[in-house]
Amino acid sequence: MFKRLIAPSCALIASLAVLQPAQARIKLITLPERQRVEVQLDNPNATLVEEERIVPLLAGTNQIDFSWANTAIDSGSILFRVIGPVEGKEMKINVLSVSYPPNENALVWQVSSSESGSARVRISYVLGNLSKSFNYRAIAAKDETTLDLQQYIRIANLANESFGSTGLWAGFGPRFLKPIGLNETKEMLMQNCAKVPITKTYTCNPAEFDYLDRAQNKLRVPMHYVLKNDKANQMGLAPLQYGKVRIFQDDGKGTTAFTGEDWGKFTPIDDEMKLYLGVAQDIVVKRTIARNQRQRIAGNLNNLDVVIQYEIENFKDKPVTLDVTENIPFVRSEIGRNTGRDVEWKSGDETTLGALDATKTTVDTAVFHVKLPARGADGKAEKVVQKFQLIIKNEW
Amino acid sequence: MRYFLIALLCLTALARAENVDLSTVPNRATVQLTIYNSEDLTLVRETRKVTFKKGANPLQFSWAGTLIDPSSVELKFLTQPDKLSVLDTTFPHAKPQMLYWNVQSDIDGEATIEITYFTSGITWVADYVAVSNAAEDSMHIDGFVRVQNNSGEDYENAQVRLVVGTINLVEKIAQLAQMPMDQVRMDLANGKDKMQSLRKAAAREAFSRPSAGAAAGEADEKQIIKEGLSEYFIFTIEGTETVPHGWSKRMRSLEANEAPFKIQYRYRPREYGDRLVRLYLLANNKESKLGGSPLPDGVVRVFRENGRDGLSYLTQYPIKYIPMGEKIELLLGADPEVVFELIKLRTFRDNIWMSWNGGQILRRVDDGAVKIEIDSSVVGWDEHQLFTQRIRNYSQKAIDVEVERSYDGHVAFRSALNPSLFDYRTVKFTTQVKPGEKKDHPFEVVLHQGINSKQNNVTLEETKAQ
Repeated sequence: MFKRLIAPSCALIASLAVLQPAQARIKLITLPERQRVEVQLDNPNATLVEEERIVPLLAGTNQIDFSWANTAIDSGSILFRVIGPVEGKEMKINVLSVSYPPNENALVWQVSSSESGSARVRISYVLGNLSKSFNYRAIAAKDETTLDLQQYIRIANLANESFGSTGLWAGFGPRFLKPIGLNETKEMLMQNCAKVPITKTYTCNPAEFDYLDRAQNKLRVPMHYVLKNDKANQMGLAPLQYGKVRIFQDDGKGTTAFTGEDWGKFTPIDDEMKLYLGVAQDIVVKRTIARNQRQRIAGNLNNLDVVIQYEIENFKDKPVTLDVTENIPFVRSEIGRNTGRDVEWKSGDETTLGALDATKTTVDTAVFHVKLPARGADGKAEKVVQKFQLIIKNEW
Repeated sequence: MRYFLIALLCLTALARAENVDLSTVPNRATVQLTIYNSEDLTLVRETRKVTFKKGANPLQFSWAGTLIDPSSVELKFLTQPDKLSVLDTTFPHAKPQMLYWNVQSDIDGEATIEITYFTSGITWVADYVAVSNAAEDSMHIDGFVRVQNNSGEDYENAQVRLVVGTINLVEKIAQLAQMPMDQVRMDLANGKDKMQSLRKAAAREAFSRPSAGAAAGEADEKQIIKEGLSEYFIFTIEGTETVPHGWSKRMRSLEANEAPFKIQYRYRPREYGDRLVRLYLLANNKESKLGGSPLPDGVVRVFRENGRDGLSYLTQYPIKYIPMGEKIELLLGADPEVVFELIKLRTFRDNIWMSWNGGQILRRVDDGAVKIEIDSSVVGWDEHQLFTQRIRNYSQKAIDVEVERSYDGHVAFRSALNPSLFDYRTVKFTTQVKPGEKKDHPFEVVLHQGINSKQNNVTLEETKAQ
């Protein structure tokens, strides 16, 4: 009897006959339709579908068949709950047992009822191939100080089951009421954050971004938009989910230009999302290790005096700030020492890059900010020479 | 029905070489299944009414297409036991799934016999559904048992008993079911007769209980009666059940309404991996509205009312047998609303010791200058690592967090966190983080290295709170 139900894929059948000990060959069945469907997308790894149906019950023991041909329902997750009688009449309803026929995606609930009447039941199950993802569209202002960020949820229904008007909830943000057809993908706007302040950063870090031209010691200088997921910056309602961010920029002529895209990482509240837009070719940084001096303390115990020199030119027509970042273990291995021990280090007096960024500098990473002047009126860029003196202590 | 008991209406009992035979087929009166979940083993006890004549009565029992262990089949007389006896049992070589009993009767009339045997292919598993309320302080717990019948035989109106616990078997029933009886006998002759006596003892224990009663009432869910038996627990399903071959049936075995529980966050890398996880904590006791029986191994599925007239699916994972009174820990995984970061602030070394390996006196040839070079190397030092354990709580409730970190070698753990030692190498501390709070928990780890390493343990040193 289950095999007759090819479409819809998930079917509920209430047998109007009181259950007989032997399986009857001739049956009269009703097909209770879905009254309400909710798709809960708040679990990162599973989608829970909840559907309510009104089931006619006879006094005595009833048989309710549920089948899910060609769908990826986790049979162990199926939860059957009686919400109550439809018309407020007193009915005592019990779920007696569940039986699973062989070689079928189906089950049979035996439900007893003290009275004849209709009952509202809710069936919940984890359904595969009904998945969600997130993506973002960002439109940066012309001056690149803010951007409008729109977060979209995309629901792909490859579950081989269609749902009529269905409540959709991702665990945060609004609940949507939409139909989802077979093999349909639906995209909806989750949140629209206007004028989110952004910081445009230029960073050189050979350990992370490598060299643009190793032979000429030219570092790759990527440009990022950095936005903070907090309430002060029009966001911070929930962690930003992983997803692709397409970035456009207002061109000042009423239209926008596509400037790049990046994968936005999962960003908890109060953390920064860093979006890579591309390499800034107008900022040239040449990095050399100008000094590698060993200072013997005793026996094989040494301090290392290392000076890294940067020749920086900004060919842009406006001043920018360059983030100079060094991974200290990377520097130590560059000069031929890799002990595997943590690096005990400090910035020496010969450093001209200024003070370390107290927030972003870590035990392994030194971060400086260097202000670079705009190129001159003659088109020439001023060459700024900076040094980072790195004292590595107690090495052997 | 795939196996039969046949009363043969001819006198010859041993050699069944006749081509013309006449037989009657007594039906089952009752059947009881005792199913073990630790092994693929079910003890079947069935009763039938058979009419005997005075003298020798051959009985044929066959089980073609099923998974019965032939060495386990036993016949017992429930009525007239003093007037009926089994003279011998024959397992014909040509028909492996068959035996003959030669019953000597002093009566001419009806008797109730009981046949017991082990079969494989019938299994049961437990599973649980826990639904927390939206406030996450109490939950509804349902426990279920699901009986699966792949034995090749339909069992109608069977009393079903489920054994919780781990029994010892020296051979698998499924293998024995495939083995001809003459092969089984050979194994016994090789010294494997312990298996037989074990089974017989288990069967006698189980068979000494009364037979199943009549079918249950119409409207009430069947109760599952739980009682202890030696090292095991037996769940007896009220009334009888019909589980045809290939089908499975799931019934509720326990229910707890509004069982209170606590939430704890834990960082235990050895147990849960490198992440902070969230757990629901309760116990298999009366306070948690449970405790009536041990909880057998099974999968727990955890839901939470989402406050929007619906459920959130939280997790599912297997739990191991939980004795009565033991705690229950429902692992929910990481919580995206709680950020757990270990930040290394600084590292430095001190207490450095050098080993003098000798020296060299060097003399320059041109002016005769003399220099002494001492050869020494580092042999001991203390490595100081300063950390802060930062916990950010973006949930709506204060959270209790327990952190465990293990260290190898000779280590001093310095902090004002009031830590304790879980074991000789594992430091444990607890904290509470309010909603919206970002809380730092600074500590210093001093690793005594080289000759400074005198122990292989962690000592706790208290520092002033920063």
